[in-house]
Amino acid sequence: MPVPITIENVTKNFGANQVLKGISAQIAAGELFFLLGPSGCGKTTLLRAVAGLNEPDGGRILAGERDVTHLPPHKRDMGMVFQSYALWPHMTLRENVAFGLEMRGVKKAEAEPRVRKALEMVKLADRADSKPNELSGGQQQRVALARALVIEPQCLLLDEPLSNLDAKLRIEMRTEIRRICKEAGLTAIYVTHDQKEALSIADRVAILDQGRLLQVGTPQEVYIRPNSRFVAQFIGETTFVEGTVKARGKGRIVVETATGDWEAETETPWTEGRTVWLSIRPEAVRLHTDRQEGANLFTGQLHATVYLGEVAQHAVALAGGVILKALEMRPRVVARDDERAEVRLWINPGDVQVLGE
Amino acid sequence: MKKSTAWFIFTATVSILGILFFWPLWKVVSGGFWVDGRLTFRYLFGVFENPIYVEGLFNSLKIALGTTGLAMLVALPLAWLANQFEFRGKAVFSSLVLVPMILPPFVGAIGFQQMFGAYGMINTLFGLGPIDWLGGGQYVGVVLLQTLSLYPILYLNAVASLANIDPAMEEAAANLGGTRLRRFFRITLPLMAPGLFAGGTLIFIWSFTELGTPLIMNYTRCASVQVYDSLKEIGSNPFPYALVMVMLVVSTGLYAISKWLFGGRAYAMQSKASTQSASRKLIGMKGVLAALPFALVVGLALLPHLGVVLTSFAAPGSWYQSVLPQEWTGGNYLEALGHDMTVSSIRNSLLFSSLAVLFDIVVGIAIAFVVVRSTLRVRGVLDAVSMIPLAVPGLVMAFGFLSVSSWLSNLKVFADWEGWQNLVDVRTNPTLFLVLAYSVRRLPYMVRSAVAGLQQTSVTFEEAAWNMGASAATTLRRITIPLILANLIAGALLTFAFSMLEVSDSLMLAQQADYMPITKAIFELFQLLGTGKYVAAALGVWAMAFLTTTLVGSSLLLGKKLGAVFRV
Repeated sequence: MPVPITIENVTKNFGANQVLKGISAQIAAGELFFLLGPSGCGKTTLLRAVAGLNEPDGGRILAGERDVTHLPPHKRDMGMVFQSYALWPHMTLRENVAFGLEMRGVKKAEAEPRVRKALEMVKLADRADSKPNELSGGQQQRVALARALVIEPQCLLLDEPLSNLDAKLRIEMRTEIRRICKEAGLTAIYVTHDQKEALSIADRVAILDQGRLLQVGTPQEVYIRPNSRFVAQFIGETTFVEGTVKARGKGRIVVETATGDWEAETETPWTEGRTVWLSIRPEAVRLHTDRQEGANLFTGQLHATVYLGEVAQHAVALAGGVILKALEMRPRVVARDDERAEVRLWINPGDVQVLGE
Repeated sequence: MKKSTAWFIFTATVSILGILFFWPLWKVVSGGFWVDGRLTFRYLFGVFENPIYVEGLFNSLKIALGTTGLAMLVALPLAWLANQFEFRGKAVFSSLVLVPMILPPFVGAIGFQQMFGAYGMINTLFGLGPIDWLGGGQYVGVVLLQTLSLYPILYLNAVASLANIDPAMEEAAANLGGTRLRRFFRITLPLMAPGLFAGGTLIFIWSFTELGTPLIMNYTRCASVQVYDSLKEIGSNPFPYALVMVMLVVSTGLYAISKWLFGGRAYAMQSKASTQSASRKLIGMKGVLAALPFALVVGLALLPHLGVVLTSFAAPGSWYQSVLPQEWTGGNYLEALGHDMTVSSIRNSLLFSSLAVLFDIVVGIAIAFVVVRSTLRVRGVLDAVSMIPLAVPGLVMAFGFLSVSSWLSNLKVFADWEGWQNLVDVRTNPTLFLVLAYSVRRLPYMVRSAVAGLQQTSVTFEEAAWNMGASAATTLRRITIPLILANLIAGALLTFAFSMLEVSDSLMLAQQADYMPITKAIFELFQLLGTGKYVAAALGVWAMAFLTTTLVGSSLLLGKKLGAVFRV
């Protein structure tokens, strides 16, 4: 039965290096929860602590009501999909998948249909008697998933499960993983460094950096309303413009920067005179605007363009040396080499995110 | 692996090694220095004041230097040829050069004497007079026999070192204008030096303390034979202890030097070789020329074996002043089968070696687990300690075990208990000490094999099993052991083969005919007048056939990695 997972103030040291600096999170039953962060941020360490493969130095981990912090891994009932799949090469697919049931003392007669069903779910029932090394990477990945699922775990743990697959297969598989998780109503914790993977299928995402949890939210929340520069630049592209708060109105502030004054919508009561950073997503920049007056209207020079066909990624030089990233669908002007076309642009104040750190 | 489990295994294995390895060594050391309750250097200096001992040590040193040097001369060109060129018959020859390892050199000595003796095959074949090819003092014979038997260790090390060198190293030198020969001396040789030195150290230690060959060749004025001859006085005479002590210091000193020179800075290749080794294909005459040295060495190395086989089929007394035996017979084998000592020796060797293998498998896996899978800081120490038996000569260990046995059997506490003498007194029953001696000396092979297996097996296989609900014991049985089985079998086969071949411990510890292993039986039979030599040869052939099977098995399992087993 899927249960909620509670992580309370978990810390972990490797020698003098503190890799988890007090992490807390609440994962609801049936939720597909992502741990996202750059390599070395502690996300895999946290996942392994939930699996029992390493023991936290402090804090607690609860599965439902049960404190499992110091429970050995084989008593936890959490199916894990390893990054390298860890399919036992000396066993057939059937034996690999049946292992967990065997360990639970499930009778052969009962285990067999469950194993078959699990292999059917990942579309490999006809390969049940193959050995793992006879399969492609994508197929191995699916067997690893079936092995973790067949025991009907309290929680499914996935450690960068798609990182060894090619780009196309990755996109197919991530949708597949979400479908399977949702059909079975599983609680799942999914570790990845690929923000697209997280945004596309997560219910909620936790962003980690250097052993700290920076932000937890739905994909839209963390993309549109990042709470720090780290989160904003880690999830998607953005340009930061540094400035000081010049004036405050209702739900709106004016920020003075090297490129001129900006207006931004914000609920946070920023004090006047404080240093802030404005985060502007490339797709929020409206190039070639017809607006003649109002806030956030700028003139810049096309500095460089990466032309990709359906879109172009521009770098626009604004006053004060700020290079603004801008995305343009059906590009009109492409700057190559020395051309320096002038361009007018506008950013909706609602699309400007104010960050204090 | 849990820290507490790791510490438990660490403590247990270190204690076992302490009792089985350091206690006997301590007995050797203390026997020469701690006499009548006082520390004294009298006997150590005494060794160097006694001209007979000095001569013995000097001769042993001569044997070791001669053997190591000659083995280098034999093995290095062969390894270089195998690495640089492709030629017809290379595959066959590169396995045939390992064949000498199936026979302890002292058994080969029996056949060797038949061929090179004053009235042997060679002199008769070429119509020469009674020339003694083995030199008056038998020195040449001992060195030759040991070289022909030990050079494979160096060959394996050299081939492995060469294979590890990124061909780009040599290509870069060629690109800058180095000729093939200059590239070898300026680039390749320095890069393979650690491997060569490692192999050379093993051969030096082995030949420095070899007992069987000088005994059979009757080269009595060397340290190992002097130790053997003084065994009867082990309780009363501190000199043999001091002599063994000197041999120990030379051996371990050399081992330490090789570790110190090359341990920290073996030239690790920065990148995996991206290109195939640039071996050149030799066809026609050139190919034959390249194969010739192999044929020569293999031919020479197989001479002792051939001699043993011929002797085993010769009617007693019929191979004298003739090229081949004048009368053939299978009678020696029949007699061997009927001989009490032979049959029981085969049974004994099988039993002792199997028990040693069992012991080594358990201890070896435990050590390998701590070394590879634990995070203990001290795990490196365990790894190093378990390798030390390679550096300590069998003769020294045997001597140490003898004195441990004599100390234990004199314990007053157990004086009334009959079973005690049977257990610990080698003069009554050497089973326990022979098994322990075999075990501790072959443990490095098992540890190396198991460590290699675990290192090649990702820990996630074990983690996945725990995650699926398997306990540590179930994981070991169902996942880990099946995955490293090939390594374990290979290590077990090597342990078994080399226990069957073991000479020093067998000669020194087995004193009762009922408990003699094969090697001791061969030695005893050889000394019997009349048919003894021929029956000994028949038993030798049997051992050869048996060991060939096990070694071929292990090399098939280990593939090219066989060389790694003989590295210090």
